[in-house]
Amino acid sequence: MKNKINIYLVEYAINAILRQKYKSLFIVTIFTLLTFLLTSVFFITNSIRYELDSTVDALPQIIVQKIKAGRHYDIDVNLVDDILGISGVNDAVARVWGYYYFENARVNFSIVGIDKYEQQYKNSFTNLVKDFDFDDINGTATMLVGSGVKRTMQSNYYKEFFNFIKPDGTLKKVRIAGIFDGDTELESNDMIIMSKDLFREIFNFEESKATDIVVKVANPEEIATVVSKIKLMFPDTRIITNHDLKVSYQNIFDYKSGVFLVLFIVALFTFFIIIYDKSSGLTSEEKREIGILKAVGWTVDDVLKEKLYESFIISFFSYIFGVGLALAYVYIFQAPLISNIFSGYSQLKTSFELPFVFDFQTLFLIFFLSVPIYIAAILIPSWKVATLEADEVIR
Amino acid sequence: MIELKNIRKIYEANKFDRVTALDNINLTVQEGELIVLKGASGSGKSTILSLIAALSKPTSGEVIVDAKQISKLSDNFSSVYRRDNIGFIFQKYNLIPTLSVKDNILLPLVSLNPHAKEVEEKIQSVMKRFHIEHKENAIVRNLSGGEQQRVAIARAYVNNPKIIIADEPTANLDEKLSHHFIDILRELKALNKTIIIATHDPLFFGLDFVDRELEIHKGKIVL
Repeated sequence: MKNKINIYLVEYAINAILRQKYKSLFIVTIFTLLTFLLTSVFFITNSIRYELDSTVDALPQIIVQKIKAGRHYDIDVNLVDDILGISGVNDAVARVWGYYYFENARVNFSIVGIDKYEQQYKNSFTNLVKDFDFDDINGTATMLVGSGVKRTMQSNYYKEFFNFIKPDGTLKKVRIAGIFDGDTELESNDMIIMSKDLFREIFNFEESKATDIVVKVANPEEIATVVSKIKLMFPDTRIITNHDLKVSYQNIFDYKSGVFLVLFIVALFTFFIIIYDKSSGLTSEEKREIGILKAVGWTVDDVLKEKLYESFIISFFSYIFGVGLALAYVYIFQAPLISNIFSGYSQLKTSFELPFVFDFQTLFLIFFLSVPIYIAAILIPSWKVATLEADEVIR
Repeated sequence: MIELKNIRKIYEANKFDRVTALDNINLTVQEGELIVLKGASGSGKSTILSLIAALSKPTSGEVIVDAKQISKLSDNFSSVYRRDNIGFIFQKYNLIPTLSVKDNILLPLVSLNPHAKEVEEKIQSVMKRFHIEHKENAIVRNLSGGEQQRVAIARAYVNNPKIIIADEPTANLDEKLSHHFIDILRELKALNKTIIIATHDPLFFGLDFVDRELEIHKGKIVL
């Protein structure tokens, strides 16, 4: 019986919120905004981190690039045979890829050429060559495009075909045969897949050259040994491992997260000063009300319970509302403004869709960063007043 | 029975600002007695009421109510004592102005968490007794002074307390309403309530149902 929730205290708390409707509305607005911003940033970072992790996991183990005067140059495809001769190497594939700047939309497309008779270095490509034929149909070349590319092309009236401008200024008409679904949205979104021959034609790329060579090692523990062997054989190459790329991506992402974290600590601090000022600084009427309640027989416990219910209702409602808004903002509206800052995508890349990653840890973190702090900011000053002699407070 | 033994009450803002509100007060009030404490403003009448209601503690001395030393009670037990034994009608009523009449009267019952039916019966009963039932849902700040006082009386009475304390109850009322309050007092006296009133309103002097009138002057009982 003692532990039963006192419904009259709950009613009083709701009544108190409604009686101070402007103050309550102000606090709910600020609180909701804070929760919304924090949750949005966490949702975006989670989604991008998920995409990055998936992208990095799908990267080749070793990439060999030709370096001349410190710059990346096309590499001889003959090197593939030499690399395949290194013990421990499972496979080596010469890749052709590059960027095509689409001036109308001011974006870069990543174009990858693949050969269906080669061992593919990505699972998504392996599936692709099984299901799709890149051979010309009725004399027209074909390609697959990422969903972002498709959107960009459609908005520029390229619905079925796209005209590439070749280095000599002539046009190459290519049919858009379908959408390419890669391992991750981040990776496939701005990508165009076509045959190696078509790639070489569009970019005037020599048959004997490739952009780089990807190497697959049977035992991941041997990657370092294979890298040193390749480096010994070909001193004019730069060798990048998937571990290097992972560290590089992570550094960029963490740097941006760090900048945002600092900004958000400042924002959080400011929000709480506003909330503390508006909610905890008890007015003379509020102090008097506590004094009256004590005078008519309320104990300190009763006063604190009522304040607990009042602050919990306000903060929990704001929290739920803020999280709901953040879900809609990030996953329905794709987080306009904020996502670009995090993903580092300028206008040169097509925008991509944030994958839905629901992380309870994040929600708990935001809950514990906001709701209990707000409740404490209400309870502490109320407790100070409630423990004074009622006579002193009423006078 | 209420006993005040050697009560001293000093209000101390700081070392140099001390006011002796009560100085060696000894007083006994029998059950069912109605006493009137007379005296000018600042004489210490309200402080006596505050000590009996356990709203404050004496600097020295004892306040004993029904053999319980209430001046030594902890803050929580003081609240419980007030809730179960005291109905206090304050000078400025001390109602919560933004709540309705009914919600104000409900306040002393809240911490008991009683059944809704019981609450409703009690509230309807006191509202009828003090003729405020027609204003049940009105917001208190919109009521007249007389109506607010009736709400304050109803709130003080809703827990059926043994002791009713009124501090300058007619200070904000006109003569007609003051007479009406005296009628209510007569009614409460008939119910065998112990009643202590602090006032300097001459209307209360020489009333036939008042058992004793005590003059307080500069913190001492002089008559």
